[in-house]
Amino acid sequence: MKDKLKTTIDYLKSRGVDYGDIRYVRRETESIKVNDETVNSLSKDVDQGFGIRVIADGAWGFASSSICTAAEMRKIANRAITIAKASAMTKKEDVRLAEAQPQVGTYSTPFVTDPFGVKLKPKIALLLKANKILAKDKRIKVAESSMDFFKTYKLFCSTEGAEIEQNLLESGAGYTATAVDGSEVQRRSYPNSHGGDYGTGGFEFVERMNLLDHAERVREEAIALLSAPPLPAGKRDVVIGASQLALQVHESCGHPIELDRVLGTEISLAGGSFLQPEKLNRLQYGSKIVNIVADATTPGGLGTFGYDDEGIPAMRDFIVRNGLFVGYLSSRETAPVINRQSNGAMRADSWNRIPLIRMTNINLEPGNVGFDDLLADTEGGLLLETNKSWSIDDQRLNFQFGVEIAWEIKGGKKGQIYKNPLYTGITPQFWNSCDAICNRNHWHVWGVPNCGKGEPMQTAHVAHGAAPARFRNLEVGVMQ
Amino acid sequence: MIGKDRILDTLGKAVQSSAADHTEAVFIGGESGLTRFANNYIHQNVAETNSKVFFRVALGQKIGVASTNAFSATDLRRALKNAMQIAKNQQDNPHFSAIPARAQYPALQTLDEPTARFTPRQRATKLKAIFKKAAGKEMNLAGSFSTGSGELAIVNSAGVAAYQPFSSANVGVIAMTDTSSGFAQGLSRNVADLDIRSIGERAIKRAHRCRNPRDIEPGNYEVVLEPAAVAALLEWINYIGFGSKPFQEQTSFLSGKIGQKITGERFTVCDDATDEAGVAFPFDFEGVPKRKVELITNGVAKGAVYDSISAAREHKQSTGHALTPNYSGEGGLALNLFVAGGNDSVDDLIGGVENGLLVTRFHYINGYIDTPNAVLTGMTRDGLMRIKNGKLRGGVKNLRFTDSMLRAFSDIRGIAKERELVSSWWDALGCITAPAMRLGSFKFTGKTDF
Repeated sequence: MKDKLKTTIDYLKSRGVDYGDIRYVRRETESIKVNDETVNSLSKDVDQGFGIRVIADGAWGFASSSICTAAEMRKIANRAITIAKASAMTKKEDVRLAEAQPQVGTYSTPFVTDPFGVKLKPKIALLLKANKILAKDKRIKVAESSMDFFKTYKLFCSTEGAEIEQNLLESGAGYTATAVDGSEVQRRSYPNSHGGDYGTGGFEFVERMNLLDHAERVREEAIALLSAPPLPAGKRDVVIGASQLALQVHESCGHPIELDRVLGTEISLAGGSFLQPEKLNRLQYGSKIVNIVADATTPGGLGTFGYDDEGIPAMRDFIVRNGLFVGYLSSRETAPVINRQSNGAMRADSWNRIPLIRMTNINLEPGNVGFDDLLADTEGGLLLETNKSWSIDDQRLNFQFGVEIAWEIKGGKKGQIYKNPLYTGITPQFWNSCDAICNRNHWHVWGVPNCGKGEPMQTAHVAHGAAPARFRNLEVGVMQ
Repeated sequence: MIGKDRILDTLGKAVQSSAADHTEAVFIGGESGLTRFANNYIHQNVAETNSKVFFRVALGQKIGVASTNAFSATDLRRALKNAMQIAKNQQDNPHFSAIPARAQYPALQTLDEPTARFTPRQRATKLKAIFKKAAGKEMNLAGSFSTGSGELAIVNSAGVAAYQPFSSANVGVIAMTDTSSGFAQGLSRNVADLDIRSIGERAIKRAHRCRNPRDIEPGNYEVVLEPAAVAALLEWINYIGFGSKPFQEQTSFLSGKIGQKITGERFTVCDDATDEAGVAFPFDFEGVPKRKVELITNGVAKGAVYDSISAAREHKQSTGHALTPNYSGEGGLALNLFVAGGNDSVDDLIGGVENGLLVTRFHYINGYIDTPNAVLTGMTRDGLMRIKNGKLRGGVKNLRFTDSMLRAFSDIRGIAKERELVSSWWDALGCITAPAMRLGSFKFTGKTDF
């Protein structure tokens, strides 16, 4: 395959393109979904193809195909050039890329046990066993558990001389119990909602979840929520659990720092960003204890890799330092706008999509408080856990999240529970109200395998390190 | 395009070679191009040639699914072998008895050759004209314009051999000033139906009228929702309520309510893939003919949509709403929604509002808050306007809504006669056909102070 890619690069050079790269991707996927006692869906997929990206006549063109022959690669190379020339009909200026040292290298995800080598039967048995515990009470209408595994091989070559091979391995699992009583529906999930938790690594990632140990608690909490009162509306001090805070980081920090959004090129789908360049190094995004990094090297993170899809090595870069907004996620095309080099955030869903600026692991750095101490110090406050709904405006300012469960904090412990908790706020006001973040003992990197962006739609696998944290005077239980 | 004969022949041979009790092969593939623009120039311009073949096999009631995007005999054999391997390791699915049998399909014209052949240069030429128009008004345009064609085929061991080619053209335009934006869109099987100039002008006009938006307090407002706004609500209502999975799991607002009034009498929604007024298609991913399904009729809950396995759970027949085999656990999903039109013009709807808001469209809706009550939240976007004494009175700043759609659609005060085809993520095989609507009350719960 590498020879075919290099031959295509030679061909692009012979056609006189300003720049060209070709990316071959082969991905194997295994997905198991178990509902109650039935394996509802069990599938394996193999998907491969290549995409060619060129700058010709000063404009971008991209074409892709699943037919991986040398002849098809030449045909698609020509198509990419034709498309670039069509783009050039409307250009205002030539596309220019920031200088980057062409990389030659390899990267492989470290892992212990290849999940594709683990037989199906024990995987299914584990999920069935979890569902059996969840479904022990007849008020649990649906017990739903799943496992997903992804093995991706990528080969990247460019007209500048880059040659990069990567082998990525990702694993994930989780379950949800849905309790129903008449028209009342409540859910609890472990280790997270929307499919659970995901990371780079092997089957050991799933084993570490100890899925069975939490099923009874999840079932009981789902049932208890059926008779819980709704969270009263008002302003409260709130401790937000780590997995929910990870999604908060995702929506209110991860997306608005994408420099393509900032420059307007994502307007057509996801919108723009309030973090315009004049705010860089000026806006107090959060309180002094808020530190956020983009770190594509975080061990086990779902956004961990060796090189991005422009061939830039993975790196760690500050986004928010001591509360001050100091950095973006960028690409070779956008970084010069802020007089910087790319920090390696160009990622494509697969071979048939162009790389876009995507999150890597956007981590809220841990603080210095123990979880029990935090609860003890938040008398009369609330603890909110596990995402249920999410919505944010097109500038990433006005957000509203729903979580599965809220507890009143009383005497340093979890007390009364509330159903259907919502909280809402404005991004910088929210992060500036943060006055405590739990320490590394409570910090975890949460995988988000379904981040949508771009047209045609792309789904990215990203992650967020987070620990429970406290926010003062947050608006909760939005009036309906 | 690979072509009917080659696809059916290749799938047929694979199905014949299978040792399973039941074997189904699904092909979906095609070529598509998408031109994306912002700041009045094209910044992304892409093309894709791809196909996917799914095999679903059953050994008794043990079902295995495997897929590949390579169309060679070797790769197909490997995928079929994977499906068999999975089935051997499976548990029985008690709701599976057999794959769907051979059927007759309505003859629908779903392929437009000029759309299939539409080039990146043709897209750029159309867009260049509206960029010029916008620049002349000191506005920037952003959006996307896609064209493409594809083929869907299903062959199974029960005699199904279904094939249908299709095309699609879709454009969305956002016009932006320093203080406002406007939106317009178009969708059709035939690119010639899309008047790009007119769509661009509508977006420009809306952005112009919304310049320097004023602050407004959240609260209950009478609203006129334009078709894109109605469709965005329906997209989530569909997802949480019209499919067989939420219906059977009792999380849907339809569960336990069939035959009961759940909205106002003027609210009627159906799914009908055979109606060529929408983006029609004759069969689903199991090769079952698409049937018209009444979902809510005159405010009364009527039913959900099913694939064959979810239908069997209720001893019913599939309504022709199966997804691809890898999503078979998700049950049926409605892909061709029609919201019933009324007798009004949009001007009539606006003219009847004394003090309210016009919503061009919504952004980032989420419907998981309280599904039995169909509570949605989301933001307005690209053209929220004040209506006073029956007239549009300029733009206002975007608001967040949080409301039960059963409540919101209980007080419908007018419905436009004209309906628009609005795309969703499944736009090659369906869409949401929606009119503008006037609702008596819509709950806005937040604004953005920054």
